[in-house]
Amino acid sequence: MSDFQELIGSFPKTREYVRDFFVYGFKTRNEFKGKSPRTYDNERRRLESWLSPYVRRDYVSGGSNISLAIDSNLLDTNPLFRVWKTKSFTDNDIVLHFLILDYLQDGRKMTAEEITDGLLAEYDALFDIQTIRRKCNTYVREGLLYKEKRGKTIVYFLDNAAALWAGSQESLSDALAFYQMAGIFGIIGNELLEQFDHHNQSFRVKHGFFVHTLEDEILFALLQAMNQKFSVRLDIKSSRTAALSSTECIPIRIFISSGSGRRFLCGYVCRRRRFTCFRLDSIKRVIPVKEEAEYDVLTERLSRIHNKLWGVSFQSEGTHFLDKLSMTLQIREPSENYILSRLKREGRGGIVTKTAPNTYLYEIEVFDCNELLPWIRTFTGRILSLECSDKSVEQRFYRDLQEMYRLYTT
Amino acid sequence: MEFFSEIYSCYYQVLRHLLLNQNAMTIPEIRALIAEEGFEESMLSIIPRLESGAWNLFRRDRALYLSRLSPSFVTPLSDLEKSYLKALLSDSRIGLFLDRTQMEELNAMLTSVTPLWKPEQIYYYDRFPDKDPYEDETYRKNFRLLLRAQKNRQYVDIDYTAPNGKRVHHHYIPARLEYSVKNDKFRLIALKHTGTEKMRLYLLNLSRMQNVCPKEKTFSPSIDLNALIRSTYYKEPLRLRIVNERNALERAMLHFANYEKNTVKIDEKTYECLIYYNQSMETELLIEVMSFGPMITVLGNEKFLSLLKARLNRQMKIISRQSPPESSR
Repeated sequence: MSDFQELIGSFPKTREYVRDFFVYGFKTRNEFKGKSPRTYDNERRRLESWLSPYVRRDYVSGGSNISLAIDSNLLDTNPLFRVWKTKSFTDNDIVLHFLILDYLQDGRKMTAEEITDGLLAEYDALFDIQTIRRKCNTYVREGLLYKEKRGKTIVYFLDNAAALWAGSQESLSDALAFYQMAGIFGIIGNELLEQFDHHNQSFRVKHGFFVHTLEDEILFALLQAMNQKFSVRLDIKSSRTAALSSTECIPIRIFISSGSGRRFLCGYVCRRRRFTCFRLDSIKRVIPVKEEAEYDVLTERLSRIHNKLWGVSFQSEGTHFLDKLSMTLQIREPSENYILSRLKREGRGGIVTKTAPNTYLYEIEVFDCNELLPWIRTFTGRILSLECSDKSVEQRFYRDLQEMYRLYTT
Repeated sequence: MEFFSEIYSCYYQVLRHLLLNQNAMTIPEIRALIAEEGFEESMLSIIPRLESGAWNLFRRDRALYLSRLSPSFVTPLSDLEKSYLKALLSDSRIGLFLDRTQMEELNAMLTSVTPLWKPEQIYYYDRFPDKDPYEDETYRKNFRLLLRAQKNRQYVDIDYTAPNGKRVHHHYIPARLEYSVKNDKFRLIALKHTGTEKMRLYLLNLSRMQNVCPKEKTFSPSIDLNALIRSTYYKEPLRLRIVNERNALERAMLHFANYEKNTVKIDEKTYECLIYYNQSMETELLIEVMSFGPMITVLGNEKFLSLLKARLNRQMKIISRQSPPESSR
């Protein structure tokens, strides 16, 4: 494996490997279809190298299972952030990164020629002007450097004020320690935290779903488009069938499940004239298309109807038809008042009415009542009746209940 | 703005630390730092480039390496980092950390920056609505006192209203502040000495704290929180069988991602997942397992199985007492 490189050039392929590794454990050679043994060896070696403190080996008959031990309630950071720190670079990239930024530390404004001469004089480092100019312009695009015109020439400079201020505020580092665990784009908070040489030793997250950081580049592209009110083309790979497809939509809002960590784009699909949610982990590429004049109107329209969503399904939206579900529960008072609290806190706007002693009715109207089933099942043992205008929901509930009863009582 | 860029790479961080060390270093010292901060095989790439001079960032004096960078070197913030910080300024919890002056200063430095996202662009559709009162001054004061005490390893005296309404008053070790995304609430993971040498773990809601008073007394840095958490787990984990149909494995693995667990492949389609939990997690875990319906099967432990069966039996009794709807059963 002489061609083994620990770092990688692009993220999308790796995103799939890491996700599979997280969900299924590392695949065997046989399961690694369509790739050469060397590719298999390199990918496996790379992932083990990046994530070595979290790789668990379980020895079973016939070999070992390799999986990731990432249990969010025991960790002070997200181990999968390491995957974002693997971008490859050239020798010139890393040398110029440190030398140019060091040379311009005092805020002086210099042309590419002056920087080239300065690097030679001060660091004994010889580069051609074109290379220096290209790197400076790249860093202007990244915001590490600024440029302005001085007569007919362009000068480059840096401004460290924000970095110096941020690095000196302990309370900001505390905030980053928290947000890297608990907020979106935690990876950026984590990178800043490292830059300020601070580590989280104060915060833990309950209901942290670390694998979703792998979608952050997609989320980033979507938010860029949303900030510019652009429509986008999405390349999508179905998580069930692995089928590839492409669709255009106007991205309006990001929906996140705090219970599962799953993230969705809610977008307006012009061709079908309706809103649809796309799982971020199934979106493989986002391509901006054009600015949309109707953007604000659609945002407003979504705001008007989003309280009719239970989760992310607009199944009946096109027909202006809402499903109605009512569930009657037996709740013994006052010993089981916590169930009543759950019903009100978790019921997403559903109406709760006491209909008799120890009996409560919960009613809601939403686009797709199928989405309520997992939540309804959590009240198993107390459900006096369940009725839904979509009869298939009722049928599924009772069928699953019978199936569970059969599973556990025979 | 590049999201996946070498400027955020692990190698750049390792090099920055090596370069900010103003003492001359030997290769074994450099190796030690790479081993601590790099990936498992980073040494194989970095050391040869330093030795060959391909990364001409050190002055060589025989076997010693001396940084060429000035000691005051600071990496400027990128546009991506600035836009992230700008977005945080609109988050409801930022006031727990920064005071008004700090927020104004940061905002002034980021005047021309577009926030990476705006709060209204993100919607947590299943988050519970009764979040903690982040704007409340007493809550903020308690949060800051707890955070400072936790960092300084100070004991705290907490006046707390228990769920049953009783006021309790105890000295605790503040081990971590735990945030729940689903509840949008903070809890203190606290430790308390029992009568013996042992420590006991407590979870205290911040919103129930009336008063927090840090004490002079400090606690040992050697407390192993994870070992203590693990010691509260039941000896027998929850054992689930997952038949990987209709993406059941993926759904289960993502759903139970916040528990300590171990999943083993049994055959082509069947997996067994062990989930470690303690009494305080039991009800929530039971509810989560029930939400999957027959997609996953509980094989053990006996206690968990009996809880599940009790709920099912109770449900079936309710159903059998009623006349079945014609088409539904």
